[in-house]
Amino acid sequence: MRPPAEAIGALALIVTAIAFVIFLGVEAALLYSAWRFRASRVPGLAPQITGNRTLEIVWTGIPLLILVVVFVLMTGTMREIGTSVAGGSTPAQMKVLAVGAQWWWEYRYPTSGGDVIVANELHIPVNTPVDVDLETADVVHSFWVPEISGKTDMIPGKTNHLRLYAAHTGTYSGQCAEFCGVEHAWMRITVVADAQGDFDRWLQAQARPRGDASAGAQGEKVFMSNLCVSCHAIRGTDAKGEAGPDLTHVGGRTTLGAGVLTNTPQNMRAWLADPQKYKPGSLMPRVPLSDADLDALVTYLEGLK
Amino acid sequence: MSATTVPTTTTAPTLWVRRPAGAKWAGWLRTVDHKEIGVLYMGMALLFFVFGGLTALTIRVQLAVPENHLVDPAIYDQIFTIHGVTMIFLVAIPVLVGFMNYMVPLMIGARDVAFPRLNALSFWLSFLGGLLVYFSFIAGGGPDAGWFAYPPLSGHTYSTGQGLDYYILGLAVNGAGTIVGAVNIAVTILLMRCPGMSISRLPLFVWMTLVTSFLILAAYPALSAALVMLFVDRHLGAHFFDANAGGDPLIWQHAFWFFGHPEVYIVILPAFGMISEVIPVFSGKPIFGYRFVAASSVAIGFLSMSVWAHHMFAVGMSDAENLFFSGASMLIAVPTGVKVLNWTATMIGGRLRFTTSMLWATGFIATFVMGGLTGVSLAIVPIDWFVTDSYYVVAHMHYVLFGGVVFGVFAGLYYWFPKMTGRLLSERLGKWHFWLTFVGFHMTFLPQHWLGIEGMARRMWTYPASTGWGTLNMLSSIGAGVMTIGTLIFVWNLLVSLRSGQLAGDDPWDAFTLEWTTSSPPVPENYLTVPVATSRRPLWDRKHPDMKDPS
Repeated sequence: MRPPAEAIGALALIVTAIAFVIFLGVEAALLYSAWRFRASRVPGLAPQITGNRTLEIVWTGIPLLILVVVFVLMTGTMREIGTSVAGGSTPAQMKVLAVGAQWWWEYRYPTSGGDVIVANELHIPVNTPVDVDLETADVVHSFWVPEISGKTDMIPGKTNHLRLYAAHTGTYSGQCAEFCGVEHAWMRITVVADAQGDFDRWLQAQARPRGDASAGAQGEKVFMSNLCVSCHAIRGTDAKGEAGPDLTHVGGRTTLGAGVLTNTPQNMRAWLADPQKYKPGSLMPRVPLSDADLDALVTYLEGLK
Repeated sequence: MSATTVPTTTTAPTLWVRRPAGAKWAGWLRTVDHKEIGVLYMGMALLFFVFGGLTALTIRVQLAVPENHLVDPAIYDQIFTIHGVTMIFLVAIPVLVGFMNYMVPLMIGARDVAFPRLNALSFWLSFLGGLLVYFSFIAGGGPDAGWFAYPPLSGHTYSTGQGLDYYILGLAVNGAGTIVGAVNIAVTILLMRCPGMSISRLPLFVWMTLVTSFLILAAYPALSAALVMLFVDRHLGAHFFDANAGGDPLIWQHAFWFFGHPEVYIVILPAFGMISEVIPVFSGKPIFGYRFVAASSVAIGFLSMSVWAHHMFAVGMSDAENLFFSGASMLIAVPTGVKVLNWTATMIGGRLRFTTSMLWATGFIATFVMGGLTGVSLAIVPIDWFVTDSYYVVAHMHYVLFGGVVFGVFAGLYYWFPKMTGRLLSERLGKWHFWLTFVGFHMTFLPQHWLGIEGMARRMWTYPASTGWGTLNMLSSIGAGVMTIGTLIFVWNLLVSLRSGQLAGDDPWDAFTLEWTTSSPPVPENYLTVPVATSRRPLWDRKHPDMKDPS
């Protein structure tokens, strides 16, 4: 099996080749007539030709035939990539729920011990068809990781399905594709394809509540006594907010703010000090904190691996 | 055909006093003359084109470099929304309706449109609707949910300002004007043709105007209904689009695109019509396959009513729905292709005069064929899943709406300007205008195909530097700058030529159709005696009595 994006690419290549031939034909005819039939080369009146029925039938029929062929090829590709409804020719071996929200992503992995909730970084095992259920918490979003899949919208009141398949390990970037408000641009998608063993270890780690936080005890106090706690959850603590991303293992993520900054202690500090500077319009407000509190919070959050 | 000769009208336009002295400006408010209303429509389009162009430039400046913080995202959203709304509803439609108003009665040998007062009403509704949309900026902020305003983003929960309300009211009023105007034009074409002007002799611009008028009647009411539903949702607590209360946001998408896709053909068909007038005249021979060009317009009209959901392949419709809309959308390429081939065949074997008008027409075919081909790729469901809502769509859409409609309108404008004003536009400035716009256009929009394929979504106010999209975006922005220079030259050309352009005479292009038999500008009520259409090319017949057009 190949990634859906590759199947689409193969079809697009055929279509592009056909289109390119037609394009060249028309442009060549235009250039030829512009050169051959310009007024200075044609003495007297042009012959008053009004049309040719046979020619019309030919150039109506041939495009029609080409389109029939393209249509048939298209149905083949749709069957191969599992079409819009999950459960195509290759059954999925894994299911994930992705929820779009202004302007970040939540992913839920169903396991025997309940859902494992992560944010903004989707991990999938390599060489494994993954069916993603797509839902939205607010407006219409669209999930698109160009290197491995086409896009599918997240519509209120509806669960859509998208097949992901990565043939190589690595990090793939994507983007919310349906305009969803002020920070549509910084609703970046990160998909990490891991070897199966790495993926299993990652999922087990994510399933655990936050680990030993003794190093960040001061930061945890800052977190719990400020606005942070009303929007974010950290499993294993009293923080149970659901409006923003789950932060139980935020220290292990590669980016902050759904892609706006890479996750380093310096960036974390800058982000916490003023999210609006980096992601204007983001629903995360600027929370006034002293430098000491900020340092403690950074130590705490970066420690949540 | 009968041997009736076309009466000559050599009377100078100065014989007629348009209106009493001193009533100049008030006259424009009171006028019910189809030509003056046509000019009003074109003036409206030019006015809003300034705003549409400035917003486009702002977008290109903002996107020229990655992670640019020049324009605040909340402002950026209003800018691209008003850009789309302006260019579609307040530029493309008015300029085309302006040409229809001005040219259709002349081309069919009528004195005016069927309902002159209704005509004035439709202009003022359209214009005031446009002002209403723009009033939002004075009232506290423009609409910011994109020109297709998908709920719930456009609903009261996520759009708390009044921008969307002015969008709804303005477009409803503007649309009422457009619907009324379409009735008027259709009735005019069906009932007011001069002797000899049978349906099969209608100039192709008139043919395509007729199809467009019926399409407006079929499509616009869907938009009006959707706007009313959105308004009721926002202000009276209905839940048409509220999934939490049993509504469905997809109803809006269906209703909007049921209007929105025919809208594309509503604006492109009159441009096709202009091309179909310009190319034969400057090729010195009749259009190749008149009946096929006319019939393909009707086919496009019907098919365009059943393709709307190709805008929605990513919303999760069933395979059956996707395949139906995919097939219908592919089919529409056939009559469109027939047109392109017939225009090309008209040029082959002709005697081509590359006036500015003809350059625009040739540039139109060369560019539109690319937009048409990418259009077919978007009709193919899996390819659409990949590129929909990306810059690929932005590129495609501008290839058909700019490379198509705008190039077509410029071909028509350089062609008919002398008829409307009595003066020629400068050919020298016109050629600068064409080449700068042509090169700038492709530089702006060709790179956007690749940006879309690489993953750049529409309507992003900025993009990460790590994506590597900076170079192509910069190229695109430079192209926009080149186009701006071309546009400034055009405006200069317009101003200079209106004042002191070369006098045109009745028939500066050695043309074929009736409008070139009257004076330039035409006398009020158009013809001093009732003209007669002896064939599809009555003026050709007069100039070549020994080889009359057989149609």
